[in-house]
Amino acid sequence: MNGFLEYVPGTSLLHRMNPVAKLLFAVLFAIMCFCTSNPIFLAAMFVFALALAASCGMMRQTLGLMKAVFVFSLILAILLIFTTPTGDRLVDLPWGYIGTGSIMAAITTILRLEAAAIPLFLTFYVTKMSDLSNSVVKVLHVPYKYAFTFASTVHFIPVFMNDMKGIMEAQTARGVEFDQGGIVNKIQLMVPLCVPLLVSSVRKTNSAAIAAEVRGFNLRTRESGYKQYPFAAHDIIALVLVIALMVAAILLH
Amino acid sequence: MIEIKNFTFTYRESTEPVVKDINLSIPAGAFVGITGAAGSGKSTLTYAMNGIIPHCYPGDFYGSVTIDGHDTCETSLTDVSQIVGSVCQDIDSQIVTSIVEDEMLYGLENFDIPHEEIDARVEEALTDMGIADLRDRVIASLSGGQKQKVAIASILALKPKVLMLDEPTAELDPASSLQVFQLLARYAREHGTTVVVVEQKIALLSQFADMLVIVDHGTIRFCDTPSNVLAHSDELLEIGVNCPRSTTLMNRLSADGLYTGPVCRNVEEACNALLEILGGSPAPFAGFVERTSTESGAIA
Repeated sequence: MNGFLEYVPGTSLLHRMNPVAKLLFAVLFAIMCFCTSNPIFLAAMFVFALALAASCGMMRQTLGLMKAVFVFSLILAILLIFTTPTGDRLVDLPWGYIGTGSIMAAITTILRLEAAAIPLFLTFYVTKMSDLSNSVVKVLHVPYKYAFTFASTVHFIPVFMNDMKGIMEAQTARGVEFDQGGIVNKIQLMVPLCVPLLVSSVRKTNSAAIAAEVRGFNLRTRESGYKQYPFAAHDIIALVLVIALMVAAILLH
Repeated sequence: MIEIKNFTFTYRESTEPVVKDINLSIPAGAFVGITGAAGSGKSTLTYAMNGIIPHCYPGDFYGSVTIDGHDTCETSLTDVSQIVGSVCQDIDSQIVTSIVEDEMLYGLENFDIPHEEIDARVEEALTDMGIADLRDRVIASLSGGQKQKVAIASILALKPKVLMLDEPTAELDPASSLQVFQLLARYAREHGTTVVVVEQKIALLSQFADMLVIVDHGTIRFCDTPSNVLAHSDELLEIGVNCPRSTTLMNRLSADGLYTGPVCRNVEEACNALLEILGGSPAPFAGFVERTSTESGAIA
């Protein structure tokens, strides 16, 4: 079982693509989804995003993400249904009505968020975090400090989750009933554990900073990276494709 | 290579000095083992030798620490760490990347090792540590012992003049611990690397180190060859340092006047000494003897 944003090894086209190309593609794709309100076009983009997920064997993880995004977008969709009185009148409300337009707006929002999220999410699962940070430093000239900060943040997520699990197991062994009751009970029990977790994480980040410094963090320049990240034909095709989609999205608005 | 003169250090958050009036001189190419009871100031001593004190932990610093002619107070931590490669106690926080290969590359890239040399160095260090097959693995999926080997390999690849390891075998099984010490001894011999190891497994230290430093309550209690230090097994026990059981046995025999030879550092030496006294032939089970000597190290 892989953790959050943890690289899944593979050899698919998406795995082999240039990290910068992947990142640009995903970001532009997400922006593109917000450039149009055409539900058919968005549905097509959603299917395309799912096809990308299938192409690198990430369907299971993608379905998990889709569920999370769906819950979030459902809240927005319900708000939209009650607040956009357009189209044919279906149900009367004290402050307006629910129309076919409201339903369409809700569906569009769900499709848009789902479609926008999938490629971004895939980028992090099919790219090693170090490749991503090294390539944005090399190709996009992002200062190494920022790239390292981001990469370390993601790197420490599983470490801290492990710590939390350890603390919880230790408490369970001493009779705290984490395994009983619902989510509310669990959260109530977890709140006091945040202090030891915070203390241990501050200590860990401090020693990580020292460890990075004694291995020459301050000497690193843009040229330090050993791996090269050249653009191949498929990277350029992907970027041209996403720009074409962007143009189509704006035209179909 | 390392000169410590009248060194006393008090962490800012405490009032008592953690290490007091330390004088220690480590020649180039020496293999030095540091041991002592928990909380005796061993780690603080290593922080002083790799520049983390005074650069990262604030406090009152008296005396001087000189590494390869550079005073650590006047040299930046980055410059000190180009001479001293350190493996810290907390492995999880020492690892800065997610993949074994990237972890190996990190220091090499930063210290500007020529790119055509990098691949060979990575390969050599991984092979030396016996983890060449882990090169593409995600670090989070490794066991504690494997992570420890990755951390050591990533420092070995840098080929520093001084290797400073704080409990490098804490998570390793006896066989791997022995392997790490053999490797360190080889680096000291072949590359003239100065090796400083803080370690609880005194049997391993006394087998490989040229010099054994026993720290007690922030001061150096003994600093001599392993044989000379182990001769004081009763005093060592008082300050919380267990000698190998074979050493203790032979020391007792010599206290009772039954044995007059040199101090025995492991089962093999004790066995041979006893056979000599009893007039028997040399130890018949060499393989067995070697295995128990590392096991007694793990127990001690």
